Amino acid sequence: MHLHRFEKIWLMVGGATLVLFLVVLSVNAYAMGMMPPSHMKMIDPNKVDETAPFDNPGLHETGENEYDLVMSSMVFAFQPNQVEVPVGAKVKFIVTSKDVVHGFQIPKTNVNIMVLPGHISEVTHTFDEPGTYLIICNEYCGSGHQIMAATIIVK
Amino acid sequence: MSELSRQTKKEKKPHKETEQNLKGTFASVLLLGGFILVTWLFVFKIFLDRA
Repeated sequence: MHLHRFEKIWLMVGGATLVLFLVVLSVNAYAMGMMPPSHMKMIDPNKVDETAPFDNPGLHETGENEYDLVMSSMVFAFQPNQVEVPVGAKVKFIVTSKDVVHGFQIPKTNVNIMVLPGHISEVTHTFDEPGTYLIICNEYCGSGHQIMAATIIVK
Repeated sequence: MSELSRQTKKEKKPHKETEQNLKGTFASVLLLGGFILVTWLFVFKIFLDRA
């Protein structure tokens, strides 16, 4: 097959870009630990309140300024819906849904989960800046979707 | 008549493999690629800043 010299060049550029993207993705995933917020853990959505760790929702200290925040979501609220953490806290969010698909997003951070009933999602974020952070549901979940929110106060 | 003349014209043209001029295509491919790369880098920087 005859290929023009320019065609060869842009095919090589395209191939190199593909390799570069795969390298960036691998470094992100394996060296920087940036994984999607799910890890195959399942839960019976009808028994969320009786199943650990959701039988004891809230903030749990796990280390020096490190916390697990266990949250369940339901129409149309997050439980708990307000927590306070110190500046610099590394918070692992452990979230599930009791009913329908919800969203869990903290604007201006990378925290953004699709919360599926039956699945447990985890995502970790370090709060370096003090302030009030909003958690919002970004998946339309019903008639009260717009009021579904929670706050994290960092001080 | 016109159909006939078109057909004869087609037959007269010999099929020749000529080197096409792809300079403009090459430039637009690189420009588009550069645009995609720059916008991707911009979004990726936002992602890393927020991590």
